[in-house]
Amino acid sequence: MSMDKMQLAKEAVRRAKAAGAEYADARLVRLNLEELSVKNGAPGEAGAPEEWGVGVRVRNDGCFGFGARPLVAGSELEAVTEAAQAAVECAGSLKGAMRTPTGWAELSGDQADSYETPVERDPFSVPVAERLELLQEANASMDQHDSVVSRRAHCSLRREEQWQASSEGAALHQLLIRTGAGMDVTAAANGQVQRRSHPSSWGNYKSGGWEHVEAMELPLAGPRLCEEAVALCSADPCPSGERTVVIGASQLALQIHESVGHPNELDRVHGHEVDLAGSSFATTEKLGGFQYGSELVNLVADSTIPGGLDTRGWDDECVPSNRWHVVKDGIFSGYHTSREWAHTVGEAGSKGTARAEGWRNPPIIRITNLSLQPGTWDFDSLIADCEDGSIFMDFVKMWSIDQRRLNFQFTCEVAWEIQGGKLGRMLRNPTYQGRTPDFWGSCDAICGPDHWDLWGVSNCGKGNPMQTAEMSHGAAPARFRELTLVGAE
Amino acid sequence: MDPIRPEGLKELAAEVVAASPAHETEVVWDVSCDRFARFASSGPTQSADRVVPRVQVRVRVEREGGLGEASAVSDTLDLGGAKAALERALQLAGHGAVSGDLVPLGGAVDAPLSHGDPGVLDQGFEVMAGWIERAISGCEESDLSPAGLAQLTHSGRAIVNSAGRAVCGSTSRAALSLTASDPGGGGAGFGDAISQRAGGVDVERVIHRAVSKGVMNRSPQGIEPGRYTVVLEPNAVSSLLLFAGYQGLGAQDVAEEASFLCGRRGEQAFSDQVSLFDDAQNEHYQGLAFDWEGTPKQRVELVKGGVLGDPVTDRLWAAKLGVANTGHAHSQPNTHGPKPGNMVLAPGSQSMDELIGGVKRGLLVTQLHYTNMIDPRDLLLTGMTRNGTFLIEDGEVTRPVKNLRFTESLVSALASVSGVGQEVEVAGALFDGEIVCPALRIEDFRFTSSTDF
Repeated sequence: MSMDKMQLAKEAVRRAKAAGAEYADARLVRLNLEELSVKNGAPGEAGAPEEWGVGVRVRNDGCFGFGARPLVAGSELEAVTEAAQAAVECAGSLKGAMRTPTGWAELSGDQADSYETPVERDPFSVPVAERLELLQEANASMDQHDSVVSRRAHCSLRREEQWQASSEGAALHQLLIRTGAGMDVTAAANGQVQRRSHPSSWGNYKSGGWEHVEAMELPLAGPRLCEEAVALCSADPCPSGERTVVIGASQLALQIHESVGHPNELDRVHGHEVDLAGSSFATTEKLGGFQYGSELVNLVADSTIPGGLDTRGWDDECVPSNRWHVVKDGIFSGYHTSREWAHTVGEAGSKGTARAEGWRNPPIIRITNLSLQPGTWDFDSLIADCEDGSIFMDFVKMWSIDQRRLNFQFTCEVAWEIQGGKLGRMLRNPTYQGRTPDFWGSCDAICGPDHWDLWGVSNCGKGNPMQTAEMSHGAAPARFRELTLVGAE
Repeated sequence: MDPIRPEGLKELAAEVVAASPAHETEVVWDVSCDRFARFASSGPTQSADRVVPRVQVRVRVEREGGLGEASAVSDTLDLGGAKAALERALQLAGHGAVSGDLVPLGGAVDAPLSHGDPGVLDQGFEVMAGWIERAISGCEESDLSPAGLAQLTHSGRAIVNSAGRAVCGSTSRAALSLTASDPGGGGAGFGDAISQRAGGVDVERVIHRAVSKGVMNRSPQGIEPGRYTVVLEPNAVSSLLLFAGYQGLGAQDVAEEASFLCGRRGEQAFSDQVSLFDDAQNEHYQGLAFDWEGTPKQRVELVKGGVLGDPVTDRLWAAKLGVANTGHAHSQPNTHGPKPGNMVLAPGSQSMDELIGGVKRGLLVTQLHYTNMIDPRDLLLTGMTRNGTFLIEDGEVTRPVKNLRFTESLVSALASVSGVGQEVEVAGALFDGEIVCPALRIEDFRFTSSTDF
């Protein structure tokens, strides 16, 4: 039997209610990807995955249950019925083990609406031949030296369509388009293996269309990347000790993600992720008073910002998108929340950050687009303002942070020593280590809007079993005083 | 149909191959039935009952100057959905440039049939609810906060290609993990069990390990970073050794000079107490008997008595290097090359007490967190200790210490192994993968900073 997809989502909710659910929501999710890569001059991966299924979540006596089934043409009703029944049975079997019912923020009124990512050039309309030609050209542009052992260019298009209904009356449709590309080259010489990438370590991805890829000008970056990868193989190792460090925007994006985003997830704060991903030092008594960073530091969460990988109409609990300060003038000011957890910080409603990977996972709190607000410095002026021996570094190579998100250590792809107010000798394996509030507290300069961009994270892992989610972090280069450099070698 | 029945998946896959007009076609059809329940002090927090299929169709079509290759994936159990994936793959392969390195798909093989235990799913949510009740009660009795995961999974896979290859099998997994944390912000303890059999999870042992560690670790004190002799429990060893699997032990890693094997093959690079092999048929934790190309997986001696062996291969890298295919292909096509997926670190002869007893002053490490790689050539790694780090003095565990960050080369660490435990466990890590390994004692392990807890 064929049925309109929104009707099918509503039917899943109706059947869950009929099976005994007090509350139910259902998401039909269709995901299409097209991925292409060129490695060492030849097509590497060419894939076109598709996912299509239904996830039904119920809440009975404060206990959640979730069922998920793939959708097969002609037997969709059977699948949604099975998913709904599985969710109810799941909650029913487990509720005897409940000690305390989960919290739940009510949503008022029916919601029926639709959201679509604005797109200038639909990426799926760009012919495969055109995409491959661009990647071939980018790949060839890195073929400049005998020491190059690997060069790769890649692009990915993602179309996620969701029909969402709930027993509270929500009927929401979303179409999210995400597009991105990148390139990297690896050189080996002198016992070193060194990699350089563009525009960042994993490329860059944004919500929107092919216009983002065109703006990257991939082939123009190749010769410089190649030269830097080869040069890194004979560069001096980055020294140890305390230095003034200017951190580039793409590296800062990951720093924001790991040391502000994850500890700000309220389910982590309450210990519900401690079994794998970890917990948080940013506990609730710190809200509103804790000095998270210097007064220059303003971090804003925003699931409405154009181009953000998590820019959408609603989260997977039907809560509208939102914008709020996580850190304001250096003070810890707000959490990422869900309907389950909002009440624990005295908020009547969720900020709308509960998301699930595809149709097969229940929603958990995820970082949304979270950005360091730009300052006023020009980059060249900032470098010129640094004392000799300061370091500029950028591009993620390695990241690691403790389970409460305090002690971190990051390695960048490349660094330069600052001498006479300019970038001097190149340094390899630049590694810095710190403690989250000390790090953000040492920030004394941030570059202005001209140096600010959104950097997409398309592989954020959380949950157990682990789920992957996407979000963006805006940043501009910024300066940090007395940062500890670790001689990684 | 039973979605996991491997023979059924094989029949479906064969129908897709038969329908393909491509020069070569390969179909990999997976289905996983998965039930899990997460829990915390409030009780079950999240749970799911999922059927997750995945069919991947890889085609090669004739193009001017060679073959074009592409794949498409669909999470469907439906023949129509798989044929739609075939159409997408054909469309993609028909565009763009000719593919580079390709070797013909492999023909018929005899692969041992891997049998999971479908009984793991029969245990259901009621059984997991019982585990959770016991775990929460066990923690409450010692004033600790629980958080954990109970999970039951049964998976099937079939691979059929146009060269006559047709293999199938299934695996199963039952697991319980528990972190028992001091509610006042002190330390925590961890315990877990992973089994392939229904009833193979020793729930009481998991609870005892997590709770006893949590009690011991309630008030850790700071300790200076530096070089220490360490006794790493299996869950800490796995976090290190899995990186050798991610980067270094595959033929492509070596060819691209991004492996610790480069320039060291045949050398005694590690302690003679270290022997590492990859064996999907090992007695402790069996995997599927064939790789992602349907090639039977061979047992490979990666390190024997501290001497480094050869990397694992797949069809492409075996042909490129003129060596045997060891059956370690990953999902095709990919740009990462072959990797070992069923590693076993051979046990030694020492009990845990003997490993600890041989330490004048050092640290007992329960688990490592967020291990990551700085440099591939020496496998320079960093990460944090987690869920129970304890000072050892004169062969006795004396007190809990706050967590430390290590920055250490795995090559140096395995050269400095001074003891290997006699019992092995199945252990995982934050990132993907599980291995079978014992505890290790390592001299002069470098810790570079500390944290607040």
